[in-house]
Amino acid sequence: MNRGRLSLGKRIFGTLAIPLIAFGIIFLVCAVRGVVLFETTRNWMAFFRATASVMLTTFALSINLNSGRFDFSIGSVALLSSVISSTLALWLDLPAGGMLLICILSGTVLGCISGGIYVISKLPPIIVSLGVTLLFEGAAFVLTDGYGVSFVTKAKLTGFPGVRNYLLVILVALAIMILIFDHTKFGYEYKALLSGQSVSVNMGIREIPNAIACYMIAGSLMGVVGFLSATNTGTIQMALNFGSIGVMFTAFLPMFIGGFIGRFSNDKLGYLLGGMIAAGISLMYAKLQMDSSVQQIVTALILVVFLIYLNNENKLVELRMLKARKTAKHRG
Amino acid sequence: MKVKNLLLNIAPLIGLLILIAGYFVIGRINDINVAYGLKTIVNQSVVVAVVATGAVFIYTLGAFDISLGASTAVSALMAGIVYLKTESVGLMFLTAVCVAVLVSLLNSVLAGVFHLPVFVTTIAMLSVLNALALLLLNLGGTGSEIKVPQAAVKSLDTLWFKLLVLGAYFLFCFFLFDFTPIGRRQKFLGGNPLCAKLTGISLNRYSVIAFVICGLGVGLGAFLSIVYAPTLTRNTASSVGMDVIIAIVFGGMPVSGGARSRIYAAVIGAFSMSFLSQIMVMLNLNSGVGQMVKAAIFLLVVFIAAGERKMKTLPR
Repeated sequence: MNRGRLSLGKRIFGTLAIPLIAFGIIFLVCAVRGVVLFETTRNWMAFFRATASVMLTTFALSINLNSGRFDFSIGSVALLSSVISSTLALWLDLPAGGMLLICILSGTVLGCISGGIYVISKLPPIIVSLGVTLLFEGAAFVLTDGYGVSFVTKAKLTGFPGVRNYLLVILVALAIMILIFDHTKFGYEYKALLSGQSVSVNMGIREIPNAIACYMIAGSLMGVVGFLSATNTGTIQMALNFGSIGVMFTAFLPMFIGGFIGRFSNDKLGYLLGGMIAAGISLMYAKLQMDSSVQQIVTALILVVFLIYLNNENKLVELRMLKARKTAKHRG
Repeated sequence: MKVKNLLLNIAPLIGLLILIAGYFVIGRINDINVAYGLKTIVNQSVVVAVVATGAVFIYTLGAFDISLGASTAVSALMAGIVYLKTESVGLMFLTAVCVAVLVSLLNSVLAGVFHLPVFVTTIAMLSVLNALALLLLNLGGTGSEIKVPQAAVKSLDTLWFKLLVLGAYFLFCFFLFDFTPIGRRQKFLGGNPLCAKLTGISLNRYSVIAFVICGLGVGLGAFLSIVYAPTLTRNTASSVGMDVIIAIVFGGMPVSGGARSRIYAAVIGAFSMSFLSQIMVMLNLNSGVGQMVKAAIFLLVVFIAAGERKMKTLPR
């Protein structure tokens, strides 16, 4: 769909329709059950924390997935970078800002390692990501002797959670992502490689640095996700044998929603709105005290229904055109 | 060139033989009971090998199913519930197989009828099945476990029975894959879907066949899981899903499917991973270090087995 051809009204409608419908349903369900979605400050905090985490994970997942590079390792990058940063922060008695900075740096380095193995080995990215996941999970386990990290009593670090801080993270990340991918040479080359890999390489676009940069950006974003998760609970639990890949699955629904919204405005904005929908649904589940198994089933069904629509919408258009042609014939 | 290709083809097998040799050498040096260790290896490998052998049919098409572990768990839990209601091992076996085949069919129908990417369908199915496993534990068990009496399956908990099930299923798959049009057409579809379609080969039809064969393997894997550990919890078969992927790749199967797909890759990969894990245990390595070494060896073996890479662009 060419965005330029759409009128401003259609673009605004296309961008906001899904979030408005989703939140309409969420508020309606809550009202029917006699529950207020945003009752306390803690509810707002949970909402914005989930939005930030899901949005950043969606960015990280989509950067490589949109280019056909499936990356299982993003969860392990979040885990290992949070272990490295919290250990250093405790050791050097750093504030939350210092820990965040180390998280981003270590995430970037880990992303670089992951991307480096991919471009050197030239193995399919999915295979590399399996190996890297095992490697990073193992490293996190070794660094903490398997006990994980706990800094519950460190007010300097656990004081980060707050609506203002989460909003800041969301806005800064969104602005940086839009800047990098929509307004730089790197972003243009990324898009060129995404739509025509061979042609772009033949034209002289250097794919290897672009791919490594993608892994580094995804790594830095997952570093922030690790930071948000760690500072929220004050603990980091260990995961072995692919225990860290669960994080990735939270990003699929927002990614597809974001991709759809992106046709009308900007996919990065779409990922934010997708993250907000996912966070709203999670908060609704919590407020309604729904069983976790029911939550998983409902979320999976929403994903399936949305994907069925996305993959068959051209058939709906064809059906509508056929109907219109038949009506015109009758009139004629 | 021919010798080089042959070496690349048998690289995973050579890897397995080296690991077996390493296992016995380290066992002898450390004075460890290798016979007992072998029993553990078979117990660890057989479920993954059975499920992965069936999964080769899906991978050959260039598709990817991430929900196999969860499907194994749900099939085992349903079978456990049926046993507790009927006290019949036969019905338990049938339930495990039928549930697994049904889940597989559902995956393929969703992908085929609604034109969803198989991988995305299986991600959604993974969530549904994980949730279903929790519900089944609540409905049919104590909330945390479903306990099939050990005595009911004790007679089947032997190495010979497990190897027999693996052997029979492997031969069945080997025959279908290498000696019938099913295998040939699936390789064709995986290698060049457009050309295969133009030749009149239906992707939907062969996807359904692949998923049904894989479902059969998942059912057998679920039954073997009950035989080995009759107390079923939320951790039952929890690692099978990812182990299957690792085993298939470790065994030399290309993730893109196509003509280079090998049915024996799954068995070689599953046993290689188990021997490697057992060697880590024998060397008394910390779990984290063990996993890191495993990851490094995995990447190295796959790198060697993949052979020469002359492409101008990066693989996707």
